[in-house]
Amino acid sequence: MSELDPLSPAVFAILFSLAGGERHGYAMMKDARTPEGGGVIMGPGTLYGTLDRLMRDGLVAEAGHSDDQRRRYYRLTDTGRAALNAQLMRMAATLSAARNRGLMPAEDHR
Amino acid sequence: MSFAVQVDRLIQRVYDWALRFYPHQFRSNYQAQMLQCLRDAMADPQLSQRTLLSILIFDLSRSLVKENLAMLRDAFARPALIYNALVLAALSTVLALGFYAVPQTLLRQSLNDPQIELTGNLASEIQNGASPQALIPSHPVDMNTSLSPFVIAYDEHGHVLASSGQLDGVTPPLPAGVFDYVRQHGEERVTWQPRHGVRIASVVRHISGGGFVLAGRNMREGEARIDHIFTAAQLMLLAMLSIIVGATLVYGWMTRTVRPVAA
Repeated sequence: MSELDPLSPAVFAILFSLAGGERHGYAMMKDARTPEGGGVIMGPGTLYGTLDRLMRDGLVAEAGHSDDQRRRYYRLTDTGRAALNAQLMRMAATLSAARNRGLMPAEDHR
Repeated sequence: MSFAVQVDRLIQRVYDWALRFYPHQFRSNYQAQMLQCLRDAMADPQLSQRTLLSILIFDLSRSLVKENLAMLRDAFARPALIYNALVLAALSTVLALGFYAVPQTLLRQSLNDPQIELTGNLASEIQNGASPQALIPSHPVDMNTSLSPFVIAYDEHGHVLASSGQLDGVTPPLPAGVFDYVRQHGEERVTWQPRHGVRIASVVRHISGGGFVLAGRNMREGEARIDHIFTAAQLMLLAMLSIIVGATLVYGWMTRTVRPVAA
């Protein structure tokens, strides 16, 4: 996966969660479920399958410390951060276009 | 022990069992973490047991398929493996085509052999002044049922002068285009189909003094042999392709790369 490719909802939710700091599996699942985290409901299979591919592509890495073998922490790499930023820029552009077309209320600058 | 705790334990046990269906490598990398994830989810007061169950069922049904497909892709979707299999499949197809085409051609050509001799002799005798009616046997051959050769003599305009071949009691007409071709080229070897299901291996020769002679015979027996060869070629191709697919799967599985846990 290139850092410029659009991200799937699950990938975005994981990267967005890790942008807030190192997380273990369930913490990522919980973040992803919240509306601001992407509103993505995923189970352990989807989470670790996606994490596996993200680690292979170099977007995520193990943090190097863990509570124990069962609860490992993960972190965002520089490539992962760049991919997340690229996605956020795309989303911002879409949001701006939606406002211009009157699909959303204008931004409140108070 | 409360009912809720018992249900939690049951869910954990069933989930642990279901994890066996993930690919071995994936399981050995993540099984412990996935189970811990489940325990964390069970301990989360914001997540009801019912919601968790529906998440788990949906997740298992999707990710089991996805991870197993990914494992198969890793094992078999390798350019060298696919290239070798395709080359072998192409060679097998060529071999099977050859196995069919060579004997088919030889058999079809051999069906003309007696007719070539018959038309040659007949044309030469008519050219030397013999009457077609005197040369052609009066006993008719049924083109549909008999495998014996028959002969027909025509004048220069394609009208029948004498014939030993009959279909439903009459000598069927030969397509006019055949006479035009033979007038120009001297001879034609053609599969003549006077009626659906009746196929005749025929040789037509032009007589230099004017007129044509045709010798033919029913191709039924020869075509049955050709059909057998076709069936054998199909079976041979199927067997070779099965061996190639089987060997590719076994080799792909034996040489698949085992991915370590990415760090």
